[in-house]
Amino acid sequence: MTEKSSAAKSSAATAATLGADREASNLVLVRRMLALAWCYGGSCAWVVVQQFFLVALNLSGLGLIGLGIDVIRHAVERDAAPARWPLGLSPPTDWPPLATIGAIAVGVFLLAIAQSSLRYWSAVSAGRLVQKIVVQLRCDVYDKLQRLSFRFFDANQSGSIINRVAGDVRAVSMFVDMVLIEMLGVLLSLALYLVYMLSINVPLTLACLATTPLMWLGAVIFSRWVKPAYRHNRELSDQMILTLSENVQGVQVVKGFGREPQEIGKFGVANGRVKDQKHLIFRLISVFQPGIGLLTQLNLAVLLLYGGYLVIDGQLLLGEGLFVFANLLQQFANQVTQITNITNSIQASLTGAQRVFEVLDAPLEITSPAAPARWTRPRGAVAFEGVDFSYRPGDRVLRDVSFAAEPGECIAIAGATGAGKSTLLSLIPRFYDPQAGAVLIDGIDIRRLALDDLRRAIGLVFQESFLFSNTVFANIAFGHPEATRQDVEQAARIAAAHDFIEALPQGYDTVIGEYGSNLSGGQRQRIAIARAILSRPSILVFDDATAAVDPETEHEILQAMENAMRGRTTFVVAHRLSTLRRADRVIVLEGGRVTQIGTHDELMRRGGTYHRAAHLQILDAESSQLLNAGKHVA
Amino acid sequence: MISQIKPPRAESTLTRYTRREEQEADSHPLDLRLIGRLYEYTRPYASQRNWLIVLVILRSIQLPCLTWIIAAVIKGPVDRGDMHGVAWGVLGFLALALFTQGCLHFRQRLALELGESVVHDLRRDLFARLQRMPMSFFQRTKLGRIISRMTTDVEYVRMGVQEVLFVSLVQVGQMTVAAVFMLWYDPVLFLLVLALVPVLWLLNRHFNRQLSKAHRDVQESFSRVTATLAESVNGIRVTQAFVRQDANAGMFSQLINDHSDFNFGLTKIQGRFQGLLDLNNQLFISVLLILGGYQVLSGGGTQVGDLVGFFFMANLFFAPITTLGVQYNHALTAMAGAERVFRLLDNPLEQQDPPGAIELSRVAGRVEFRDVSFGYDPGRLVLHDLNFVAEPGQTIALVGHTGGGKTSILNLIASFYLPTRGELTIDGHDIRRVARVSLRRQIGLVLQQNFLFSGTVMDNIRVGRPEASDDEIYEAAHRLDCLDLLAELPDGLHTLVGERGGSLSLGQRQLVCFTRAMLADPPLLFLDEATSSVDTLTEARIQRALAELLKGRTSFVVAHRLSTIRHADQVLVLDHGRIVERGTHRQLLARGGEYAKLYRRFVPC
Ligand SMILES: Nc1ncnc2c1ncn2[C@@H]1O[C@H](COP(=O)(O)OP(=O)(O)OP(=O)(O)O)[C@@H](O)[C@H]1O
Ligand SMILES: Nc1ncnc2c1ncn2[C@@H]1O[C@H](COP(=O)(O)OP(=O)(O)OP(=O)(O)O)[C@@H](O)[C@H]1O
Ligand SMILES: [Mg+2]
Repeated sequence: MTEKSSAAKSSAATAATLGADREASNLVLVRRMLALAWCYGGSCAWVVVQQFFLVALNLSGLGLIGLGIDVIRHAVERDAAPARWPLGLSPPTDWPPLATIGAIAVGVFLLAIAQSSLRYWSAVSAGRLVQKIVVQLRCDVYDKLQRLSFRFFDANQSGSIINRVAGDVRAVSMFVDMVLIEMLGVLLSLALYLVYMLSINVPLTLACLATTPLMWLGAVIFSRWVKPAYRHNRELSDQMILTLSENVQGVQVVKGFGREPQEIGKFGVANGRVKDQKHLIFRLISVFQPGIGLLTQLNLAVLLLYGGYLVIDGQLLLGEGLFVFANLLQQFANQVTQITNITNSIQASLTGAQRVFEVLDAPLEITSPAAPARWTRPRGAVAFEGVDFSYRPGDRVLRDVSFAAEPGECIAIAGATGAGKSTLLSLIPRFYDPQAGAVLIDGIDIRRLALDDLRRAIGLVFQESFLFSNTVFANIAFGHPEATRQDVEQAARIAAAHDFIEALPQGYDTVIGEYGSNLSGGQRQRIAIARAILSRPSILVFDDATAAVDPETEHEILQAMENAMRGRTTFVVAHRLSTLRRADRVIVLEGGRVTQIGTHDELMRRGGTYHRAAHLQILDAESSQLLNAGKHVA
Repeated sequence: MISQIKPPRAESTLTRYTRREEQEADSHPLDLRLIGRLYEYTRPYASQRNWLIVLVILRSIQLPCLTWIIAAVIKGPVDRGDMHGVAWGVLGFLALALFTQGCLHFRQRLALELGESVVHDLRRDLFARLQRMPMSFFQRTKLGRIISRMTTDVEYVRMGVQEVLFVSLVQVGQMTVAAVFMLWYDPVLFLLVLALVPVLWLLNRHFNRQLSKAHRDVQESFSRVTATLAESVNGIRVTQAFVRQDANAGMFSQLINDHSDFNFGLTKIQGRFQGLLDLNNQLFISVLLILGGYQVLSGGGTQVGDLVGFFFMANLFFAPITTLGVQYNHALTAMAGAERVFRLLDNPLEQQDPPGAIELSRVAGRVEFRDVSFGYDPGRLVLHDLNFVAEPGQTIALVGHTGGGKTSILNLIASFYLPTRGELTIDGHDIRRVARVSLRRQIGLVLQQNFLFSGTVMDNIRVGRPEASDDEIYEAAHRLDCLDLLAELPDGLHTLVGERGGSLSLGQRQLVCFTRAMLADPPLLFLDEATSSVDTLTEARIQRALAELLKGRTSFVVAHRLSTIRHADQVLVLDHGRIVERGTHRQLLARGGEYAKLYRRFVPC
C-alpha cells in the first residue's frame, strides 16, 4: 500500500504537461519516424522503385529525341556522325530516314504513355501510403487522448491538444512523402550524376565538390537554428487558438461586458506574435537557401576555372568533357537545391513529430490493473479509508477522509464552497487516484478493479452538464448507444425531462447545440440526469445535480428516483435543505476533512456548521404564517 | 459536399452535422471576385508585392544569363585557350551569381513575408468579424469549425499567396521567351505548337470542376474532423465517465477515413491531370519531331541547327506547363480555402445599430416590457406578451419552473436578442434604437453558465472593468464579502484558474463571476442563478453584502433557492413564458398560488 501511494505521489508531482521535457534529440525522433515508415516498408519501397523508373524513363525519352535529331542530321549532312543506337536496336537499313523518325516519334510517344501511367500510378501509391500513415496516426492519437487521465487534461490546454491531432500529424506524414521519398529520389540521382562525373575526370570532380562540407555545415547550422523556432511557432499558434476558442466559448461574457475591443487587442497580440516569429523563420530560410545556392555556383566557377585550365592544358576534351560536365554539374546543383528544401521540411516535420509523440507517449496515469479483481455483481458498498488527495503537491484538498456507505444507502455531502465535495466524488470513479489511503467498493480497492467495469457501475452527473451537439436521444443514450427508445424515454421521465423534450421541435430527435446552448440550464441538467440513470447503475453520484432546477421539479425528480432507483447507493452533493433531508446520512466536509456524519435530524440536534446552514433555509415564522394564511385563501 | 458523406447512425456519432451550419459552396473555381478580394489583401503591402514582381522578373532573366555565361566561356576563351579570358569569365560569373542569390534572398523573404502578412490580416479580420456576429451564429456554429477556418483554411491561402502568382510568373516568362525563340527558328512548327492551346483549354475545362469539388470536399471533411475533435476534447470527462472511449474512437476513425478518402480521391484526380498534361506535351514533341524531320529532309529550307535550337526551346516551353499545372492545383486549393474564409467573413452581422442610435450614458435603470413576445426560432415563442416595469433601483426576482423563460428575459434586456414583438424600453428608450455597446456597458451580468478565461483570478475579475487597479479589485471582492474565500486559494487572487476555470470549484468560479460583475459597478445588474452552487452560509454572507451593493441599481435576480429573494421588490413567477403571478414575497405567499407551492417545496416543513 505504501509503495503504491508513494508512486502515486510522484506521478502527481510530475503532472504530465506536454512539452515539459523540451527537445527530444533529432536522432531519436528520426529513428522513430523511420520505424514508422518501416511499418509500411513494402509500400515505401514500392514508391521508391517507381520513382527510380520514372527518372529512367524520363532520361530515355530525352535520349530518343536526341537520337531523332542525330538521324535527321546524318540524313542531311552525310559527314555528321551516324546516330548511335542503344541496345543494338537499329532499324532496318533500308528504311527511309522519315520512316525511322516516325518510328522514333512513336517510340517517344509510347514512352510518354508509359511514363504518364507510371507517374499516375506512383502518385496514387504515394498518396495511399501517406493517407494510411495519417489515418493510423490520427486514430492512434485520438485513441490515446480518450484514455489520458483527468490530470493530463487539467495540465494541458485543449487548443494545443487539438492542434496536435489536426495539424502536427500532417507534419509527421510530411516526413514520409516530402522527406523520405524525395530524399531517396534526390540521393539516387545524385549518385548517378556523381558516377558519371567521376567517369569523366576524377580530380575535376573532387575539385568541384570541394564545397560540399561547407554545404553540410550550413545545413547543420540551419537545422540547429530553425528547429526551436518551429517549435516556438507551434506554441505561439496554440496560444492564438486558445485566445480564439476562449473568445468563442465565452462569447456571452465578452458581449455582455462589451469587451470586444479588449478581445480584439488580445487576439491581435497573439496573432502578431505568430507573424513576427514566422518572419524570423523566413529570414533564416531566405539566408540559408541562397547561401547554399551560392555554394553550388561556386562549384561551377571552380569547374570553369579548373576545367578550362585542363582543357587548355589538353587533359580534357572540350565537348564530351567540359560541356557534358557543366551540364551534369548544373543538374547536380538543382538536386542540391532540392536538398535545402528537404532540410527545411525535415525540421518542420520533426517538430510536428515531437508534439505528436508527446501525446502518444504521455503516461496513462490511471489504468486497469494487469489482473483485475473479480467483481461480478456490484453491490454498491463504498468506503473511503484515510484518503488524502491533492491536485498540486503540498496543497491538500482532502485530508484523512474515512467513511463507509452501505449498499443502497443515500449519502448527502454538504460543505462550504471549495471544501472538496466534487473532489471526493471524483475519486469514486477513479478520475484521480488518492495520494494516501484507499477507496473501496464492495471491499475491493478500486485500483484493483477493471477501470471500465468500475465506471460502468457508476452513474454520474457532473456539477456542470456537458452535452454533445447531437440529438437529445443520442445524448441520453451516450453511455449506452444500443439503448432503445423506451429505455431512453423512461430515463427521461424519471429525470422529469420527458415533457419538455416532447415539446421541442423534433422531440427526442432535436439536435442540441454545442454545450447544450439552445436549452435552459435546468433542461441541460435534467438531460444529464437522464443520461446517468439510463443504465440503472448500482452507484449513483450526483454532484449538485439539481442546482439549476426549481424546487418543484427537483421534488418530482427525487421522488421518481426514489421509486425507480431503490437499492442503489447514492451520493448527492447538495446545498438545498429539501435534498439534504432526504438522505439517509449527511457527511459534512470542512476544509477537506470530514467533520460530521449523521442523519439530518442528528446533525440538527448536534449543532455546528450544518445546523447553521440549515437554519438559513428553514421557514421563518413570518413566511410560515403567511403560507398558512394562503392555504386558507386557496 | 455534405450529401456525399453518408451520415452514420445518429447514436454512433459524437456530434451531428446540420446543413444550417455551413451553406454549400457554389462551383466557381478560380472565381475572379475571390482573386480580387485576395488581391485587396496584398494592397497594404503593395510596395513589397511590387518589388517582388520586379525581383521575379529579374530572376527569370538572370537564370538563363548564368547558363549563357558558362556556354560563352566554354565556347570562347576555353576553346581559344585563353586562360586570362577564362579567369575574367569566371569572375563575371561569380559576380552575377552573387547578384542572383542576393535577389533570391529578397525574393524568398518578401514572398514568404507577404503570404504571412496576408494571413495575419485575414485572421485579424476574421476575429474582428466574429466579435460582431449575432448570438445565434455562435449557437449554430461549432467551435472546431471556426478554429479550422483560422488555421487550415487560412494556411491554404498562404501557400497560394506565397507561391502561385510568383512561380507562375516565372514560368510564363520562360514560356514567352521560348515561344519567341521558337517563332524565330521556325514559324511553321510554332503554329503547330499553338494547336496546344485548345487542347489545354479542354483539359482544363474537364478537370476544373472535378478538382475544385475535390478540394472543397477535402477541406470540408477536415473541418468536420476538427469540429469533432474540439468537442471530444472538451467533453472528455463525460466520455470517460460513461466509458465511451471505444465508440468515440470508432466514430472518429470513420471521420478520418472519410477525410482520407477525399484526400486520396483528390490525389487521383491530380495524378490524372498531371499525367495527361505530360502526355500531351510529349505528344506534341513527337509530332514536332516528325514534322520537323520532314521539313528538314524534304529540303524545305530548315536547317538542322535551327531544328536543334527549336527542340531546345521546345523543352523550355513545355516544362513550365507541368509546373503551371501544379501551381494551378495550388491555386485551386487556395481558392477553396479563401472561399471558406470569406464565407465566414460574409456571414450576416449582428443587426447593426440603426442610424442615429442613442448612446446611453449612465442609465437610471427603468426597464419596461410592453407586450413583449420572443422566440429563438421565429416559429416557436418562448415568451408571450410580457408586461412589467422595473423602476430604477428595484430588485426584480424571476422565479418559476425550469425552461420558463427567465434567462430569455435577461437575454432580451442585454440585447443579445431582439424581441419578436412588443416593445422593450430602457429609461424610456426603445431597445431597438439604443446603441448596443453603450447599453451593455451599463450591465453587470452573472451568467447561469459561468465562464472564466484562462489566466489568474485577478485577470478574470478585471474583465468587468479593464482599467481597474489591483486595489479596486480587492475592494470589490471585499465589499461582496468573499475576499477571504478567494484569498484562501493557493496563490490568492493570483491563482491560475485553468482552462474554463477548471482548477477552481464551481462555487469559487461563481464567486469570481460575481465579483467581476460588481467590479463593473453597473446600474443594471443581472444575477442568473449567481450563487446556485455556493453553499448556504457563504450565500447568506453575500446576501447581506448585497443589501448594500444593490442600492441604486436595478437588479434582476433569477434563483431557485427561494431564500435569496425574500427581499425583492417584485417577484415575477413565470410559467411557460407567461407571467402567472406577481407581487412581493409576502403577497405571493399570502395568495397561496404557484409561488406558495414552490416555496413550500423549498422549505419542507
Ligand atoms: N438559444 C436557444 N435557442 C432555442 N431555444 C432556446 C435557446 N435558449 C433557450 N431556449 C428555450 O427557451 C425556453 C426558455 O429557456 P430559458 O433559458 O429562458 O429558461 P429558464 O427559465 O432560464 O430556465 P432555467 O431555470 O432552467 O434556467 C426553453 O424551453 C429553452 O429550451
Ligand atoms: N482540477 C483542479 N486543479 C487544482 N485545484 C483544484 C481542481 N479542482 C478543484 N481544485 C481545488 O480544490 C478545492 C476543492 O474543490 P472542489 O471542486 O472539490 O470543491 P467543492 O466542495 O465541490 O466546491 P463547490 O461547492 O464550489 O463545488 C478547491 O479549493 C479548488 O480550488
Ligand atoms: Mg463542486
